Amino acid sequence: MSFLSVTGLTRRFGAERVLDGATLAVDEGETLAVLGRSGSGKTTLLRIVAGLDTADPGGPGQAAGSVVLAGRALDGLPPEARGAVYLSQEPLLFPHLDVRGNVGFGLRVQGVPRAEADARVDAMLRELDLAPHAAKRADQLSGGQRQRVAFGRALAVRPRLLLLDEPFGALDAGTRTQMQGLFQRVARAHGITALFVTHDLKEALVVGDRFARIDAGRLVTYATRAAFAADAATGVADEVAFWTSLGEDAP
Amino acid sequence: MTARRLPAGLFAALVVAACAAPFAVLALLSVADGWTFSAPWLTAWRLGRWREALAGDLASSTALSVALSLAVALASTAGGLATGRAVARCRHRRAWLWMAYLPFASSPVVLSVGLVVWWIRAGWAGTLGGVALAQLVFGYAYGVVFFASFWTPRLLAYGDLVRTLGGSAVQALRLGAWPVARSAAALCLAQTFLLSWFQYGLTLVVGQGRVSTLPVRVFAYVGEADAGLAAVASLVLVGPPLAMLWLNRRLLRVGMGDGG
Repeated sequence: MSFLSVTGLTRRFGAERVLDGATLAVDEGETLAVLGRSGSGKTTLLRIVAGLDTADPGGPGQAAGSVVLAGRALDGLPPEARGAVYLSQEPLLFPHLDVRGNVGFGLRVQGVPRAEADARVDAMLRELDLAPHAAKRADQLSGGQRQRVAFGRALAVRPRLLLLDEPFGALDAGTRTQMQGLFQRVARAHGITALFVTHDLKEALVVGDRFARIDAGRLVTYATRAAFAADAATGVADEVAFWTSLGEDAP
Repeated sequence: MTARRLPAGLFAALVVAACAAPFAVLALLSVADGWTFSAPWLTAWRLGRWREALAGDLASSTALSVALSLAVALASTAGGLATGRAVARCRHRRAWLWMAYLPFASSPVVLSVGLVVWWIRAGWAGTLGGVALAQLVFGYAYGVVFFASFWTPRLLAYGDLVRTLGGSAVQALRLGAWPVARSAAALCLAQTFLLSWFQYGLTLVVGQGRVSTLPVRVFAYVGEADAGLAAVASLVLVGPPLAMLWLNRRLLRVGMGDGG
């Protein structure tokens, strides 16, 4: 059985069906990259898994959707009881806290003993190369550093599942590439299970172990990277053709 | 030929002098025992007037005004913060906001004449509680309008973040949204305080002359042609708002940075 199983999630806003029976499965320690354009329903999917939004209840002849994480049904549980941390495009650092305070914020909220929290924060600061910036505030950091702090804050609480909603979308190309590499390295080191949604094809290919595509609320999952690349709707073939036409390797 | 410009320092001094001049005249009037037309300067001094005034009704009116304005400001800010959040999340946001603007569609005196009928029926007219409730109509509406635009999706996202990091709904407000919102709350507190503090017509109509706040007292002194006492009361009237503005400025300074 998969570590994360999402089955038949549907969400309507008025007459608009934003999510249409979304079903996916992710094994422990894997990252599922979900490719989708703006407004395709990917944020709604993550918010429902996080418990920040609710899926529509089932109707006559239609079962309600469900989310199961590590063998436990999450339906009806509040966000704080799910063990899934949601990271958005904006790092949302607390302006009244320094980097250390931000990284340790979740531990403080969870009431982790001070000594243990300090040790975990120190380790996270070292791992993410943030130790020299520990005393800085958000407005003294670059965009990449802010996103690293947000990443560290999420990892410090040791979530069962990380939900990443275009986390590097606001960064410049170079920093974005750096952050993708950092995510890969840290995700592997910590055995993180993640749902990573992005509209960037290259980013999806770099960070994903498994792949899915969402379009107008409909989620399509792929068994392999090759199957993802072979589907014309993902745009991989177009990308390869473009770079080939320039006489260069595809990125 | 180039136009001559006023030096910045001189210009600033002129602005400060223009702003301070009315208060300087008030200060002089408050210690004058005689300043008859057309004498260019005080003809007699009466330094004891401040002590006499503050030992009398003025002190109780000042205390009443401070308590009333603080209560109205606190209730308006807290109510506005909570209601503004609900309005910001609501699908019919524009309709609710339109309603919040309604108290400002007519003059406070006109509205208070309308309100007083209901207040009399409820037995609230002429009472301090009744005046506070009437002022809350404006203060609360102002708080809702102020915070409806303040609760941006970004600020709401702070609360969501705290929830997924393991915090309860209360912690999401206390630890997530509040640290970011407190500068704005201080600003709203100061502004609703001022809204209540300078309220004259509404207080007079709803209070029916029985609730003697500081603005009511100032106008009474003016009506009695007691220029000295009116000057003392007027100067006292500007004291707490200046203190509030100063405090507000300090809070804003130490408040928000860029949360990224």
